[in-house]
Amino acid sequence: MKILKIPKRDLDLFVSILPAFGELYAPVRRGSGYAFDRPVIWSDVELKYPRTILPPRKFFLPPKEATFTFDPHAGFRDLLAEATTRRVLFGVHAYDIYGLNILDRVFAQGKFPDPYYLARRQHTAIIGVDCEPDDGHFARSMNADFVDSGFDLFLSDIGDDYLALVGTSRGDDMVVMSSCLLGQPTEADFAEYKRRSSERRAAYRTHVELGDLPEILEMEYHSLVWEELGKRCLSCGSCSMVCPTCYCFDVNDEVGLGSRAGQRIRTWDSCLFKSHALVAGGENFRHSRASRIKFRFYHKQRGFVAEYGRPSCVGCGRCAAACPAGIDITSVIRMIRGQADAHGDRTASADTASRQPIPAAHGAHHAHPPDGAR
Amino acid sequence: MTKPKSVLIIDDDSDFVRAVGDLLTSAGYAVDSACNGRDGLSLAKTTQPDLILLDVMMTERTEGFFTLQQIRSVPALRHTPVIVASSIYTDQPSFKVNPDADWLPADLFLPKPIDPARLIQESARLIAASVAPESEASHVGSNGR
Repeated sequence: MKILKIPKRDLDLFVSILPAFGELYAPVRRGSGYAFDRPVIWSDVELKYPRTILPPRKFFLPPKEATFTFDPHAGFRDLLAEATTRRVLFGVHAYDIYGLNILDRVFAQGKFPDPYYLARRQHTAIIGVDCEPDDGHFARSMNADFVDSGFDLFLSDIGDDYLALVGTSRGDDMVVMSSCLLGQPTEADFAEYKRRSSERRAAYRTHVELGDLPEILEMEYHSLVWEELGKRCLSCGSCSMVCPTCYCFDVNDEVGLGSRAGQRIRTWDSCLFKSHALVAGGENFRHSRASRIKFRFYHKQRGFVAEYGRPSCVGCGRCAAACPAGIDITSVIRMIRGQADAHGDRTASADTASRQPIPAAHGAHHAHPPDGAR
Repeated sequence: MTKPKSVLIIDDDSDFVRAVGDLLTSAGYAVDSACNGRDGLSLAKTTQPDLILLDVMMTERTEGFFTLQQIRSVPALRHTPVIVASSIYTDQPSFKVNPDADWLPADLFLPKPIDPARLIQESARLIAASVAPESEASHVGSNGR
């Protein structure tokens, strides 16, 4: 792996050549938050941002997309070409790159690779930048505070310069094109990188314990915690919309009035929505809000672990920030572990009285398995 | 009487805007101007000029590069000829990346100070050349950079 360094003062010049690799998107201010958008001038780009409102998932799984058109006369026509716009995402945090790597397991590496997702992945360059964690981040607990793949370049702040880690041949093309701006790092630069790397690890103040969590979730399938959460959850789906790894979608056909021609549309869905598990005949497998929020936690922290070997959570803290009811995943995990009160979501009380003991009839191994990956 | 071709000058140097504006006006062009990239982009969207003459170092030293990216992302301006006129290569000696089409989606780069005769010649050439390819490109859906 090639490592170079670029002076911070020349980063604007470096970014100026990036359109050679596609349309540039970077974190810019939007209201009181940040969003990946097109900067009008360099100073629009904010590299010291806590998190964007939406993760970069929107570039790979758009909120709404037409996948193909159909017409009784012309037949089917796929819209794959729409997914081949070349883009550069500049300033992506490690946990968000990790989120894309998780989506890859579902959409790129599974039995049925999604051509639209794949096309967007192939045509999108990613330049990462390190993150200064705030109280909402718990990426370190989710092992997503550093990434070793999924980026073309990764920039690490070492003071007056960034270390630029080259991850792909496209990243190499970028540094070759801008070689006049880049230099070789020194031993002192590496020492500074290591010092700041340790500092970043220590800066994470919010932690959750992942070890044996799937087992504990298995034990707590009938916990009253889920009923309490069901009373608070508004089923608004905000947590799903801002999640880097949520990927549920709905599919429907839009047909023109008086016509049999139309297009197939894929839109974001959420397992928090009442309609998510509604099937023909009016049966709903997850009718109550409690069952829906429980499904979301079991899918991310248990079902996904069984299917893909790790939780589908990267610790970005967006869901807690977006939840209008103040439901915080780290508090929920503490509650399930018996380390917090079911009513005191944002406290770390040791009161475990609200936990329901595991009914003897069910034991640790349930007759009906917890919800798995969808 | 045919409508004169229009040129939008985006440059923060008011002396340059006045001098080049007079030059282009005397050559028969209708000239408009903006003193920064954001205003220039806004004006370009509403007036849709036949040619844009764009500075690089304005409020920020790379402003023109970013403005050009934005211009190219507007469908109506995607094929509008753009001349980038700048002294960035003399003012920023460390920036040795050549201004070629691999990364700079401009039709021409002219180093400042500009040769007036060349500017007039190139403006006429680019405006004339933009008409046919533009209509053709719009039919084939070219991304056109």
